[in-house]
Amino acid sequence: MAYRYFIDNRDYIEALRKTGDLVDVSIEVDWDLELGAIVRRTCEKKGPAPYFHKIKDYPGFGAFGAPIATWRRLAIVLGLPPDTPVSGIVEEWRKRTQSAVFKPEIIPKNDARCKEVIIDGDQVNLFDLPAPMVHDGDGGRYIGTWHFVVAKDEESGFVNWGMYRQMIFDEKTMVGPILPFSDMGRIFYGKYEQKGKPMPFATVIGPDPISALASLAPTPLPEAEFAGQLMGEPVKLVKCETCDLYVPATAEIIIEGEVLPHVRLEEAPFGEYTGYRTSPRDKRNVYRVKCITMRKNAIMTVSNMGVPVDEGQLLRSFTLAMDMELLLKSQGLPITGVYMWPESTHHLLVIGVKPAYTGIAQQVASLVLGSKAAAWFHIVVVVDDKTDIYNVEEVIHAICTKWHPVRGTILMPFGAGTPLNPFASPEERFSQKAPKVILDCTFPLDWPKALVPTMVSFREVYPREVQEKVLKNWKEYGFKE
Amino acid sequence: MRKVFDTFISKNFEELTEDEEITGIIRDLTPGRMKYKGIYARFRISKDPDKYPDTLLVRLGRGQLVDKPCSIQILEEIKIFP
Repeated sequence: MAYRYFIDNRDYIEALRKTGDLVDVSIEVDWDLELGAIVRRTCEKKGPAPYFHKIKDYPGFGAFGAPIATWRRLAIVLGLPPDTPVSGIVEEWRKRTQSAVFKPEIIPKNDARCKEVIIDGDQVNLFDLPAPMVHDGDGGRYIGTWHFVVAKDEESGFVNWGMYRQMIFDEKTMVGPILPFSDMGRIFYGKYEQKGKPMPFATVIGPDPISALASLAPTPLPEAEFAGQLMGEPVKLVKCETCDLYVPATAEIIIEGEVLPHVRLEEAPFGEYTGYRTSPRDKRNVYRVKCITMRKNAIMTVSNMGVPVDEGQLLRSFTLAMDMELLLKSQGLPITGVYMWPESTHHLLVIGVKPAYTGIAQQVASLVLGSKAAAWFHIVVVVDDKTDIYNVEEVIHAICTKWHPVRGTILMPFGAGTPLNPFASPEERFSQKAPKVILDCTFPLDWPKALVPTMVSFREVYPREVQEKVLKNWKEYGFKE
Repeated sequence: MRKVFDTFISKNFEELTEDEEITGIIRDLTPGRMKYKGIYARFRISKDPDKYPDTLLVRLGRGQLVDKPCSIQILEEIKIFP
């Protein structure tokens, strides 16, 4: 049975409007900074998503900002009540990611909404699309901020969907970094560029929310199958015009072309998910565009990365933590859960453990730091099962009381990092390496029981019958909540 | 009418190479749909804002705008792709 999901952004926008999680911006806004500034402010205020109806210079187009930048919107995407707590969203994610996997369904071109308008050959001009200048000082207009790029390993048939940022250079050229450790990086550098061959790509702008989630979440599945798993039925794809790639049929805009081997052009700087511009303007990969297809009155999707919280931080934090939980559980380790606060820009991972044996904190932390996803985070905090990992106050309390600055700190001087880490030295950024640290916030098991401090909290220090009586009579005492 | 371009430099503004032929990327800041188009070109620049026909704004590697407009003379736009 299919889960509740939205077939496209238009369906999703309507749902957000009904719950009060969308603002219809009817006055004209300028694509040159004004639109980006509005999206940025909504992220910083954790406010509703703006839907822009009139964009300067681009009549007929709309734009949808900060599509899934709040927990409320993620709950809505997953068919839950908007006020579902994070732990409830986690439960829904666990349920869906443990259910059946579906291969995508290919539909005919005539049934695909993303083919309502087709532009190819000399008519292709990226400046005909309302790509915003997102932040003042960016290296260009970023057309790919809430999108994904489809690429295929022609030898194995493996298809990757991934969010790789893309900046417009000229009418038919986009530029952006393809990081070597990414799936597309392995395909491009390991296969195509080695042979001097261009790699076909398709950029999907304005995908349905579940496909967008699937493209950024770490998963061992091909992302199109992962989207089907999250939907509870196959995602519908359609073949590209110029290559043997398939894209979601209900997406707003598709840009087709080739990534050129051994060609690099200047890209960036860009306001990044860390809340800084860290990576410099530099020579990066070149996408040459052959064809654009889109829906009538296409809606550009815009994510504005910066200080928390935007959807990149929220969704990457959420899905990275869920992936690490799966990894740890796959080995039968006694964990209570894994979480990342979006405010950590997915740099800090919290693992809850049942302290069953000595060394468990280092064991679980070392495992996640040895995973494929570890380049994206560098701080691992391990707390015991008395700490609610979703409660920032409890985790800070655990760090400040159970973590021993010497004995509880395990440093790993070298690990995989990204060029975007603001704290890293220029050399570390260039080499894409990052030191890692584990904070063990569990009490040593070899301490005599009588010497172990006991937690003084309502939950821990009162007998169950007293707790129940107090909770039952709480309003009778005169308290409202 | 003077056109306005900008460029990004990785070094300090004080070390900007003046009056020599440079090949690099500039952006066209003419208002409208094509604003921020990248152009690969041969050009000369000067910190004197009036020396060459067009205005050049300079940004540092992380996007910081230098508040001293320069001037630029574009010698040739170079086609990168066939």
